[in-house]
Amino acid sequence: MSNRANVGGWLQGKTIRKGGVVSTNTHSGRSSTPQVQSTSTTVFGGGVKDVSGRTSEYFSMDDQCPVCKSDRYLNPKLRLLVSSCYHKMCESCIDRLFTLGPAPCPICQKVLRKLAFTPQTFEDLTVEKEVAVRRRIAKEFNKRREDFLDLRGYNDYLEEVEDITFNLINDIDVAQTEERIQAHKKENASLIEKNIQRDEQYAQALREQEEADRQEREQRALEARREEELQREEREKDRREIIDRLETSNTDAAKVIAKSRAEANKRSSARTTVDSVLKSNAQLLRSRAARSTTIPDVPHIPLQDDWYAYEDAYVLMNSYEDPYSEAVRKDRDGIMRAGGYRVDQAWERAVRSAVMGLDLLPLTEQGSFSNSCPADIVMAPV
Amino acid sequence: MDAVEKANAERQKRWAKDQKVGEGTYAVVYRGREAVNQRKVAIKKIKVGQFKDGLDMSAIREVKYLRELHHQNIIELLDVFSSKTNLNLVLEFLDSDLEMIIKDRTLVFLPADIKSWMAMTFRGLEFCHRNFVLHRDLKPNNLLIASDGQLKIADFGLARDFADPGYKMTCQVITRWYRPPELLYGSRYYSTAVDVWSVGCIFAELMLRTPYLPGETDMDQLKTIFRALGTPTEEDWPGHTKLPDYVPVGQFPRTPLRDLFTAATADALNLLGKCLIYEPRKRISARDALHHPYFFALPYPSHPSKLPKVSTQTPSRPLEEVDGNVDMNASGPGVKAAAPNRLKRKLTSPGDELSGRPLARRLDFTQKRV
Repeated sequence: MSNRANVGGWLQGKTIRKGGVVSTNTHSGRSSTPQVQSTSTTVFGGGVKDVSGRTSEYFSMDDQCPVCKSDRYLNPKLRLLVSSCYHKMCESCIDRLFTLGPAPCPICQKVLRKLAFTPQTFEDLTVEKEVAVRRRIAKEFNKRREDFLDLRGYNDYLEEVEDITFNLINDIDVAQTEERIQAHKKENASLIEKNIQRDEQYAQALREQEEADRQEREQRALEARREEELQREEREKDRREIIDRLETSNTDAAKVIAKSRAEANKRSSARTTVDSVLKSNAQLLRSRAARSTTIPDVPHIPLQDDWYAYEDAYVLMNSYEDPYSEAVRKDRDGIMRAGGYRVDQAWERAVRSAVMGLDLLPLTEQGSFSNSCPADIVMAPV
Repeated sequence: MDAVEKANAERQKRWAKDQKVGEGTYAVVYRGREAVNQRKVAIKKIKVGQFKDGLDMSAIREVKYLRELHHQNIIELLDVFSSKTNLNLVLEFLDSDLEMIIKDRTLVFLPADIKSWMAMTFRGLEFCHRNFVLHRDLKPNNLLIASDGQLKIADFGLARDFADPGYKMTCQVITRWYRPPELLYGSRYYSTAVDVWSVGCIFAELMLRTPYLPGETDMDQLKTIFRALGTPTEEDWPGHTKLPDYVPVGQFPRTPLRDLFTAATADALNLLGKCLIYEPRKRISARDALHHPYFFALPYPSHPSKLPKVSTQTPSRPLEEVDGNVDMNASGPGVKAAAPNRLKRKLTSPGDELSGRPLARRLDFTQKRV
């Protein structure tokens, strides 16, 4: 019979490597997706399953095994698996064809092994294949922007990775592409290893953060529950006290009740202040954590304003009819030139100053300036 | 009390003066606070009474330009008011300057840090130049560092706007070590390129951790420049022999920058070389410098908040904006008069530098920021 417990274990995110040995004693209480039922004696793992376990194996009421034509009506426990050549067939066909060792695929004749069959995650098998290929490539081609001297090199690298991925997905020059992957792997072995470690460290940090958050949440929930319990007890006590007092004393009943009500109110307001202190503590912790994370360096942005966006307001000519600067331009002694003085800068200044105020709105009646001034020269607030 | 006086009194009330932090030739600097929100400010009190011919030139210049220039990388003038006969400038409070950081041997600069400072300097300078203001006194101790790491250009006491054609400007500006050769040759007609030379010298100083071209006199300054960069030929710099104060100072061969800046990247040397071109018209502009590949290459410039900072605060240290008076007769390297309790900049030859300290501290280009 089937070993359903194992299926459950697999669906809850146990890593089962493709072709790896599967231990048969993982008992889990319940299967998260009861509709997937395995009839095979082998546990099929791997494929592109979601690590978080949120999506389960693909399954449809219209499933039919392309090999034996059996469907869900004939066999309610029908489960289709995907071969490494991306053809589907049912578990019984797989058992029938591949139990005795590697055999050709009944659809494309590629030699397959039983353990190379994986559960299906996506409805469309081309997507299934693409995701699998991309996952594999991402593991081997994990260089980052920092590993390159310039952006150009990085872009070329990304281009190459995409090229390889495309080839593998569409079965173009597979052998040659595999060779390329191997060559890359050999060349960059240490770097790849380093990047894997870096990714792991990052993931570890994320996990720790999550764990800390979760603990904090739990702590708060516990606190709240205890608080509630305490309040309930107090209320109970108050009630009993009122009854006692009403029984024993001979003052006005309304007065007694009012007095104890006031006391209860006082207590509850005291509690809320304690609450807020607790809450602000948590906030403080969180903000401190946020500050301690390092601020990343950002690429250089030459200018951080839009000053030069307004250059179309004028066109600077190469030369102007300017008797004022004539002597300078003639420069008989050549000293203007050697000193670096530039008449064109003076011209630019004049032209710029002339057009500078053009997009300013005129003064309004109240005499206030509009704020739409594009120029950076603004008088200091006085 | 007339309206003007009332307005002034109103403004004066906004600022509270604390202790004195420094004194220069024409100003006293106090630490202060804004009355409303206790924000720290520096209040620079300019002594008016002493000068027979009115207000000191530097003060006028400073107010004139700082009133108009508002940029992240330029010190902010918050307010101006008068008290009795004095003029008070309220400036942003900045606790350290680039010179202190360069001199603090416990700090290690990463290439990314230098890149970040350079980018901020060029951004501030580009802002001055686009508004046709020449700073004319760029040097590490006029580049102040805010507490969040932002670099701000300060001391506009020598600044002036770009001259109209045919108008002479003085050539006695810019601290000697950062003064470009055209000013040393007495050119009265110059342009924004003079500031770029200074930034080039600061760039080199950041890499070397010691002044790049420390000349002892104006004459020696020229010699020092030519020794480092080779004597310019007529082809390198057309017309320089006709400059007013031209004197031949001997022939020196041009040595590649690489010989001194052994650890710098090719991009960094290329930018440095372009800032230190003899011919002022060919010298890179601040705007072009910001688009230089050096800034785009890896590593990215450090985030300002991560830049090295001077750790221990010396409370007695005067602020940088203290001085700012042109002192033509001073024999020291500075144009400015040194403030009383400031250490004077010591001249050290590169040889001393090598024997005294571990080499690794001078510049570390290999280490990557984690």
